[in-house]
Amino acid sequence: MTKTDKKSFNQSLAEWKLFIYNRTTGEFLGRTAKSWGLILLFYLVFYGFLAALFSFTMWAMLQTLNDEVPKYRDQIPSPGLMVFPKPVSALDFSFSLSDSESYQGYIDDLKKFLKPYGLEEQKNLTDCTSGTFFEQKGPEYTACQFPLALLEACSGVDDPTFGYQEGKPCILVKMNRIIGLKPQGEPRIECISKSESTAFLSTYPSNGTIDLKYFPYYGKKLHGSYLQPLVAVQVSFGSDGDVKEVMVECKIDGSPNLKTQDDRDKFLGRVAFKITMHA
Amino acid sequence: MDRKREIYSVELSGTKDIEKTDKEDGKEKSRGLKNKCLERKKNHQKEELKKELDLDDHKLSKEELEAKYGTNIITGLSSAQAAELLAQHGPNSLTPPKGTPEIIKFLKQMIGGFSILLWIGAILCWIAYGIQYSNDHSSSLDNVYLGCVLALVVILTGVFAYYQEAKSTNIMSSFQKMIPQQALVIRDSEKKTIPADQLVVGDIVEIKGGDRVPADVRLLSTQGCKVDNSSVTGESEPQARSCEFTHESPLETKNIAFFSTTCLEVSAPPVGTATGMVISTGDRTIIGQIASLASGVKDSKTPIAIEIEHFVHIVAGVAVSVGIIFFIIAVSMKYHVLDSIIFLIGIIVANVPEGLLATVTVTLSLTAKRMAKKNCLVKNLEAVETLGSTSIICSDKTGTLTQNRMTVAHLWFDHQIFVADTSENHSNQVFDQSSATWASLSKIITLCNRAEFRPGQESVPIMKKTVVGDASETALLKFSEVMLGNVMDIRKRNRKVAEIPFNSTNKFQLSIHETEDPDDKRFLVVMKGAPERILEKCSTIMVNGQEQPLDRSTAEAFHTAYMELGGIGERVLGFCHLYLPTDEFPETYSFDVDTMNFPTSNFCFVGLLSMIDPPRSTVPDAVTKCRSAGIKVIMVTGDHPITAKAIAKSVGIISANSETVEDIAKRLNLPVEQVNKQDAKAAVVTGMELKDMSPEQLDELLANHSEIVFARTSPQQKLIIVEGCQRQDAVVAVTGDGVNDSPALKKADIGIAMGIAGSDAAKNAADMVLLDDNFASIVTGVEEGRLIFDNLKKTIAYTLTKNIAELCPFLIYIIAGLPLPIGTVTILFIDLGTDIIPSIALAYEKAESDIMNRKPRHKKKDRLVNPPLALYSYLHIGLMQALGAFVTYFTVYAQQGFLPTTILHLRLEWENDNVNDLEDSYGQEWTRYQRKYLEWTGYTAFFVSIMIQQIADLIIRKTRRNSICQQGLFRNKIVWVGIASQIIIALILSYGLGSIQALNFTMLRPQYWFVAVPHAVLIWVYDEVRKLFIRLFPGSWWDKNMYY
Repeated sequence: MTKTDKKSFNQSLAEWKLFIYNRTTGEFLGRTAKSWGLILLFYLVFYGFLAALFSFTMWAMLQTLNDEVPKYRDQIPSPGLMVFPKPVSALDFSFSLSDSESYQGYIDDLKKFLKPYGLEEQKNLTDCTSGTFFEQKGPEYTACQFPLALLEACSGVDDPTFGYQEGKPCILVKMNRIIGLKPQGEPRIECISKSESTAFLSTYPSNGTIDLKYFPYYGKKLHGSYLQPLVAVQVSFGSDGDVKEVMVECKIDGSPNLKTQDDRDKFLGRVAFKITMHA
Repeated sequence: MDRKREIYSVELSGTKDIEKTDKEDGKEKSRGLKNKCLERKKNHQKEELKKELDLDDHKLSKEELEAKYGTNIITGLSSAQAAELLAQHGPNSLTPPKGTPEIIKFLKQMIGGFSILLWIGAILCWIAYGIQYSNDHSSSLDNVYLGCVLALVVILTGVFAYYQEAKSTNIMSSFQKMIPQQALVIRDSEKKTIPADQLVVGDIVEIKGGDRVPADVRLLSTQGCKVDNSSVTGESEPQARSCEFTHESPLETKNIAFFSTTCLEVSAPPVGTATGMVISTGDRTIIGQIASLASGVKDSKTPIAIEIEHFVHIVAGVAVSVGIIFFIIAVSMKYHVLDSIIFLIGIIVANVPEGLLATVTVTLSLTAKRMAKKNCLVKNLEAVETLGSTSIICSDKTGTLTQNRMTVAHLWFDHQIFVADTSENHSNQVFDQSSATWASLSKIITLCNRAEFRPGQESVPIMKKTVVGDASETALLKFSEVMLGNVMDIRKRNRKVAEIPFNSTNKFQLSIHETEDPDDKRFLVVMKGAPERILEKCSTIMVNGQEQPLDRSTAEAFHTAYMELGGIGERVLGFCHLYLPTDEFPETYSFDVDTMNFPTSNFCFVGLLSMIDPPRSTVPDAVTKCRSAGIKVIMVTGDHPITAKAIAKSVGIISANSETVEDIAKRLNLPVEQVNKQDAKAAVVTGMELKDMSPEQLDELLANHSEIVFARTSPQQKLIIVEGCQRQDAVVAVTGDGVNDSPALKKADIGIAMGIAGSDAAKNAADMVLLDDNFASIVTGVEEGRLIFDNLKKTIAYTLTKNIAELCPFLIYIIAGLPLPIGTVTILFIDLGTDIIPSIALAYEKAESDIMNRKPRHKKKDRLVNPPLALYSYLHIGLMQALGAFVTYFTVYAQQGFLPTTILHLRLEWENDNVNDLEDSYGQEWTRYQRKYLEWTGYTAFFVSIMIQQIADLIIRKTRRNSICQQGLFRNKIVWVGIASQIIIALILSYGLGSIQALNFTMLRPQYWFVAVPHAVLIWVYDEVRKLFIRLFPGSWWDKNMYY
């Protein structure tokens, strides 16, 4: 039985050839030209219809959306914390004092990031009253000024290398923008060094305060000129050893409605990063 | 006497060929064991297992036997001896054929089907983790978990399928153990009843009428013993057994009774029993050796197994090729190889319907259960469908098509033929019973009969009572009991004074009775026998109660009636009587049956009576059904061609208006050779003719005649017939009951053994057991088998559809860089969660049209999964589902702040754990975990959308051609159970387990459950349109491309 069932190679080759093009019936891949034409036409029409239907449903769905505010904001009830500049991999700042190339990237990033905060750019912004929410009714929305001077040594005004050249690197900590968020109490960012090193942290503005006047945020479309409040952390090391290393953990303090403890989300209201400075 | 040792060699070649070489003198003998030597035999030389049977016990005298087996004919073996022999030779039972070891069965389930793909997926997961780990020791364990989940899925479905298989096998084994056989044995000079499997060689056993012979026995003392050897040699006539050595061959000699044959009767007391010595036991018996031949015939794959394999190949082919194409695309799009491997796993998981094979198993076992209720016990689950694709049934006659009991069919008296009722209960005998001739005839029938009812059956209906006596006498006894009432009482009133039992030289049976009339002192001599012999003894004939001289015209009338009844295959008996004059035979006259001191001629002829084993009343209908279902029914019987043809005609195997070559020849008055064979629809072929046929001639015969009866065939010739049918690409069902049928049962695509008459060997070899031995049960089996094939199509179509909806997300994810719309684990929850019960529910769907009105499916053309099914599921409904699910997905993301344009090509940043301030379309910033949670919400939404659209898919799959409205939306309640289960499982996953992180489900806003509903409605409408066009334009382009 096996003998007769096994087709020889030539036989199966011939079968394939016949399948690809059958001269007698004019079938190509098992279908005649007319059949192929019909089936292609059918799929063209059918898929054309499906594509049109899909586009229409998507369009209809987008019509239901509001341009200014997303329909739901339940999945980001509380902001995350993030640092700037962003190291290439993980939150691990590593540079060498003697090699300016190794930190030039950070400096460039910071400069670029702080560009909207320049005096010229903030000219048209409102100087709002500190300590209260800056609530607006529209239709025109304006943003509050965030003077770079608040960042003191890390503003890049006095020291264009943001302290990197001196071995006192600056890291900016910012709170994620969330439309309509109103922190309770007096939010501030508190940073502590985790490792038992002699590193000393200074925060600007002093105490890491985030002023309430920068809230609420009204979204990209309405609030295009909005400036995020920043807190800078400057690390200064003691004078021991060649490699200086510190783990810094920053978190929001003083505002009960901003969560800082979530087992799964390590960036909710807090951020941890590491600075390694070689000689 | 020739003491030359006779050697039987039973050769058995590995696969199909069975051959028995008779080294004695090549003379035609022992039809049963004789068989065919196929030309391929030589190819199998290596596999040949040679056994030699050396049996000469039938030639030995009693003393020699005693010496040989160390036993004593009077006292038997001692218990100690017996125990020793038992330990030495093992129990006296047939070793069941070696099944596949359980562990192999289990492993088969573990690596068969899609399992191997899933194992590959699991291993790739672990490899991926290994690579990740070597790069970064803190990498997440997600891939390890996924690998474990995949492995778990394989193991669970494997265990489940194994359990299902085992369960159905258990039904069978419990069935086999129902009746333990007992044997009456003489040991330690005492008669003991012991289980038959405790018998050893040398035991002296006693056998009564009706017993099964407990081992191969050399008879030592017996009288009038008859055995039914049909299961060994295929002879359907009872065979006489005596103590004399009558033939060289142990199969032919009369002094050996074979294991598992039935002893029909032993002469009445004082002898009462046959005594014999056990000469071989268990597998060493003749029957044991034949049974072992069957295990040499290899099981071929069932049609459904081939179909499922075909389907697995298609799906696996799609999975692997799509996987590899996208692996290459991913790599060339500069994706990391590790990521590409993970995509590959996703594509495999999305493509493989993990739950389907388990579903198929459940579906099959549900049908098996349903069939068991209808008296079809299925041993092998896959055989459930095989019956449905059957195109030829080779059926036995006796017991399957017929009632397996002789029944009075016609009577002839007063120059007239009367028809008796042959239905199962004889309820309405309508012929005219007023004639005085009938009174005389019934008296003869009642009195000239030695058969008796076994005592203690008062409450049993007459037709079901057990009778001691041969088949004809039983028929006559039951007939007269039905007609006249209490036969035993009539016999008591007409006391029997002498009798001559039937023997083959006399060919008549005679008894002398006193009459019941106290005033009538005459003796009545009643006689029955072969009609021509009876007529010879008569000088008068009774017409309307009056004796008339038997003239030429009456004799002609007799012959016409005799030929007519004989011509329809019935066994005809003549009846006559004679009142002895009181002057010659006074009341005190002493009759002597040896000297025959009474007249045996010048009797008065009363009538003829004919008997037949009538067809079961349900059979003609069943045969018609088979015919309209395109199934060819071939009768294969050991009986006479005339009887076989008559039964074939009466049940419709040969239809009323079709003729055989011989019929045409007779009608046209031509020699048989001149008849065009193409003209004859029917054919009756005897075993002798079959023996001389070449395979080509047999093929021609099978192809050219639609109605075939094989008569006088040996059970082994069944094998040749089966092979011939299989050469025609037919799916062949074979029924059988004897041990000798077992090779044919094995060879057949589906072997059907008889539950009542069947031997254990036949049941072992069969795939299915008919508990009521009724042919009509096969037809219900066919119906169920066809239905299950249709419904499996629906189940597979339903299951395959969502694979596209699961696959598209991965493809879009790779190409367009969207956040992943549905996770691998979520896919598993669809495949093994929400989809399982609905796909089983389709097994309960009723047939769309009369499935018994179409041709059986062609093994190679009508596939379970054909191109239209795959294309329609994948490219039509599947794609529509995918679109519907994507709409929900985009809606969820857009309403949370990520517009479709934003998420395009966002994948790298989206999945970067270090980006915790990713900006959405509205300027808000998201941490990685917040995005992940949104992604899970997306998974849940996508999952729910697929589930909602699968409800529509389930509803449209209820029919393939008819509108759902025609089929009835609510007729199959189980479908609604399935729909409810889908919704409930989804609700539990989303709202109940939404907080368990590992499952990747979130609590979904209620409105997202309804986004895909319009698409579900669209799917329904689209499918209704498809079906409408199929119904409107049958045979059109649309029909060919859209009907699956």
